[in-house]
Amino acid sequence: MNISFKFLERYVDLPEDLSYEQIAYDLTMRTVEVEKIINTADKFHDIVVGEIKEIKAHPNADALKICIVDVGEDELKQIVCGGSNLQAGHRVCVSKPGAEVVWHGEGEPVLIKESKLRGEKSYGMICGATEVFLGDIFPPKDEREIVDFTDLGVDCEVGQCVAEVAGLDDVILEIDNKSLSNRPDLWGHLGMARELAAIYKLPLKDYPTELPKGLPEYPVEIQEPDRCPRFTATIIDNVYVKESPAWMKTLITNGGMRPINALVDITNFVLMAVGQPQHAYDSTHVEGGKVVVRLAHEGEKLVLLDEKDLDLTPDHLVICDTVEPMNLAGIKGGKKDSVLDTTTSIVLETAVFTAPGIRRTTNYFNEKTDAALRYEKGIDTQRADLGVALALELFKEIYPECEIKAFTDCYPVKTENAVIDITQQFLDERLGEVLERSEIEDILTRLGYEVTFNDGTYHCIVPTWRSTGDVSIHDDILGDIARLIGYEYFKKQPLKVSFEHSVNQVKVDLARRLREYLAFRCGFNEIFTYPWIDERFIKAAKIDTDKAVRLATPPAPELGILRSSLVPGLLETIDKNYRNFDRFSVFEAAQVFEKGEYRPSTEEEVLPVHRNLLSGAIVGKDAVEIFFQVKGVIEGLAGYCHTEPLTFEQKEQPTWADAKVWLNIMSGKNIIGSIGLVSVSALAESGIKLVNAAVFELDTDLLVPYPSRTNEFKPLPQYPLVDQDLSLLVDESMTWKEIKESIKYMVKDLKFVEEYRGKQIPKGKKSVMLSLRIGNDDSTMTSKQIDKKMNGIIKVLGKKCGAELR
Amino acid sequence: MLEKLEKIREEGFASIANAADAEKLEAIRKELTGKKSALQEVLKSLGGIDPEMRKTVGMKANEVKNIFAEKIREKEEELVAKASVVDGEIDLTLPGIEVPRGALHPITQMCYDLNDAFRSLGFEIYSEDDISSEKFAFDNLNFAADHPARASMDTYWLEGTENKRGNERLCLRPHLTGGSVRYLLEHGAPARFVYPGRVYRNETTDARHERAFFQYEALIVDRNISFSSGRVMIETILEKVFGRKVNVRMREGFFPFTEPGYEIDMECLLCGGKGCKACNQAGWIEVMPGGVIHPNVLRAANLDPDEWTGFYTNIGLDRLVMMRYGVDDVRLFHSADLRFLEQFK
Repeated sequence: MNISFKFLERYVDLPEDLSYEQIAYDLTMRTVEVEKIINTADKFHDIVVGEIKEIKAHPNADALKICIVDVGEDELKQIVCGGSNLQAGHRVCVSKPGAEVVWHGEGEPVLIKESKLRGEKSYGMICGATEVFLGDIFPPKDEREIVDFTDLGVDCEVGQCVAEVAGLDDVILEIDNKSLSNRPDLWGHLGMARELAAIYKLPLKDYPTELPKGLPEYPVEIQEPDRCPRFTATIIDNVYVKESPAWMKTLITNGGMRPINALVDITNFVLMAVGQPQHAYDSTHVEGGKVVVRLAHEGEKLVLLDEKDLDLTPDHLVICDTVEPMNLAGIKGGKKDSVLDTTTSIVLETAVFTAPGIRRTTNYFNEKTDAALRYEKGIDTQRADLGVALALELFKEIYPECEIKAFTDCYPVKTENAVIDITQQFLDERLGEVLERSEIEDILTRLGYEVTFNDGTYHCIVPTWRSTGDVSIHDDILGDIARLIGYEYFKKQPLKVSFEHSVNQVKVDLARRLREYLAFRCGFNEIFTYPWIDERFIKAAKIDTDKAVRLATPPAPELGILRSSLVPGLLETIDKNYRNFDRFSVFEAAQVFEKGEYRPSTEEEVLPVHRNLLSGAIVGKDAVEIFFQVKGVIEGLAGYCHTEPLTFEQKEQPTWADAKVWLNIMSGKNIIGSIGLVSVSALAESGIKLVNAAVFELDTDLLVPYPSRTNEFKPLPQYPLVDQDLSLLVDESMTWKEIKESIKYMVKDLKFVEEYRGKQIPKGKKSVMLSLRIGNDDSTMTSKQIDKKMNGIIKVLGKKCGAELR
Repeated sequence: MLEKLEKIREEGFASIANAADAEKLEAIRKELTGKKSALQEVLKSLGGIDPEMRKTVGMKANEVKNIFAEKIREKEEELVAKASVVDGEIDLTLPGIEVPRGALHPITQMCYDLNDAFRSLGFEIYSEDDISSEKFAFDNLNFAADHPARASMDTYWLEGTENKRGNERLCLRPHLTGGSVRYLLEHGAPARFVYPGRVYRNETTDARHERAFFQYEALIVDRNISFSSGRVMIETILEKVFGRKVNVRMREGFFPFTEPGYEIDMECLLCGGKGCKACNQAGWIEVMPGGVIHPNVLRAANLDPDEWTGFYTNIGLDRLVMMRYGVDDVRLFHSADLRFLEQFK
């Protein structure tokens, strides 16, 4: 919303020494956020009043004239101009070099320079209204007409800036509408003036509040008092469509609207002034001479002013005559009721509609009008008084010949003042400071409260303009006091710390250690992907979507499914990155969802099942290598992250995994996840070429964290251990696990070194190299003992694993 | 004789000084002091000369022998000091051998920095699940029944629940605040906790708007605490994040779940509050909303608003991280683009 300082002057005189910046700052700190301060005169720089001293013919162009103009400088200037209404002695609008004007009122502003037109020097430009942003204030009659202040009867001085002449030398505060959403009273200049008066302890000027008296009534019927608590109709005769006076057009322009004609402008002016929407109907359009406020009938239609057809439902409130709906109540006028050039008598509606219905209807039809914007915040019924009184004052000024024929005030429900008690003790505690009673009373009175103090309690009568929901509990009053003092004036209060127990959150720590392990020890990059996943990747990973949770209105049609696994997101990530990197590792920790029953907080709230998954991929060319790297990552995880150990078994093949290369991750007897190579089909369907991916996915809720570090100390060996390497020849089908299990009991330590297949190895066999460590607990091994031990080991390997030495 | 000794000494010094390595030095030692050396020959020939002279020459010869031993030792030390385990040339500008270098997501990094700061203040870390009901996401938080945020234009409702109400209408949570009531229902008051997480809004995305973004919310609930305590908390957090003291100011703001509510601005770090392009000449940057917990929210958590009060603050993590690194497009956070993520190693 735009707040004009010229408009504010109607309601409050702000001190001269108060800068606009200071006012914007104070409003921002205490009331609403000022986004911008705009000086409307800025765009009129170097656009001044000039007086044409002499007009000469242009030697090379019939349509152009050479004007000698006084622009308030030492010497007269020559300006070439094609205006249709040039007259010597008249005062006109001149753009000097440096000014920016809009050619023919269209497009971007153009910089004016001294130039030559058809061979004749021209200092600047004598302008038409639309070229210098005056089209709304001084509408031109023809395209080539220039602004002639003398003809228009406008007072001005030679050399005076045109912004000043037109009253457009205003300062506008652009207010963030969002910050106004809880303050219906501020949606007009009076409300904002009232707030400024409260901040700066200034008096408000008088403004009209009187309703017409002793007039005949015009028939009005409100069928829905819940939706329309008040409807006033004022019948005004002897009016007609004409231009508004310049002062009004100026204020309407500065406030951010466009002048249209005096009848419409008056209602817009009232809206900007007191925040009360109004609507003018041509009296002759109200069939049956009666206004009915009712809900629409099923199937009823309404054509809006802009020709838009509405199919109404019985939730929509409409203003009707005795035949049909004329407009959408509180939102937009209909085509039928509109004021025309032939109008001579109007019915002026000044009504109040309650917020919820307006909000539903504006959303339903997507009609966010200025009126709806105000009604949907909640307007007090008393505001209608201000609207009617101001409109009548304006009609009398602009249409002295008009006649107020009738007035009806149909007022079934009145906004009651909210009444709230607030104790001194509550204020002292919550403000953190003890304020004087007189200060509290003063602040509240300035804001329009009526306050009485009794026995430690302030009894507050809230003004009606704050009583439509804005102020309803004592905390609201506390907020009013705190903000008017200014949050910056309250001393900082240290936070007291109580040592009741340590913060010990094993699960939280585990979640962090998992991520840090992958990033810092294993070299993975953490990624985030969206919970909604492109169905292409879900299909590629062959993930069952029967139990999938879906969005009602997804970001895109293919993004409707919420993920039940992180693997599709990994596939998408690999697809995005493999062209830039031929080797990389990524992981993601996130929640996934599945239909089911889960009650996190209460019995009544049943959510889908959530699981916390951790998933990652190593991408590279050598499938076997990256698989064993991923396996190594999972093998090291439990030690780093302090959880119960993890083992591997082949039990349930993941849908995305290669036919051969996959394992389940086990914690005790539970399958908590899987590792594996991504299957050929999943890679192909994801569009991934040239690289392989080894993936892990595990459910971190199934990891069992240790409460603390569990590494166990063992005394260091007293006697040296002996390292021995063995190179074995075994059948292809012999597994490392079998080899290991067969001799584990005989050695202090056993390590796999490498597997080898090659020319020297017979078909169906493989070579396995291992490194083992042996020793005695009570003495140093002699070479005899070593030989004996090694022979024993080789014998066992031969017997249990069919291994021969190579 | 003496002249001969002087010559041996001079030549010996020169050859010691010229020894290029330990091996050569050893050969020189043999040459100078060995049995067949010129010096030994002088000593051997002492018997045949005049006794007066013998004494002088003998002393001189021993002196030369000792000096040779000392010089050789010095040379040995010099050669050890100069020795390298590497033969031949080495280019020390070659890069080091890379260790695995991964990174936490910049959002996670910021989140953990904040966790550390809050932990040090005795806060617990809590997380709510991604899917919530309208009851917890809106009703409990004092949102009006027809508040626009409840519309499907704003919130991602789950298919099949979008036309229901309250507990039965489910969504991807639009903010974290619903989690505060869950925690309070579970743990009661007093309480001090943070609950970081991702939230979801049905928005049109651009460089400054995302559908999924991260927030970091903190809440203290206690008896008789003043809203001005919140400022200390906020200053502490920002100091931790930016590594130096940051001035903050509180100004009027409105949120359904607070009363009073405020917007919290921090002094622009680039211009120190003087006004620059980054802060739109304001000198201040809006960083987070906050406020006193609304009595209706306390009631939803089964707490008596006359006894308890509290202070919220909600930090937009994406925005903070964008400020920390100068990131200009919020969509990069969910891009999973390694060219972006690798910059935060």
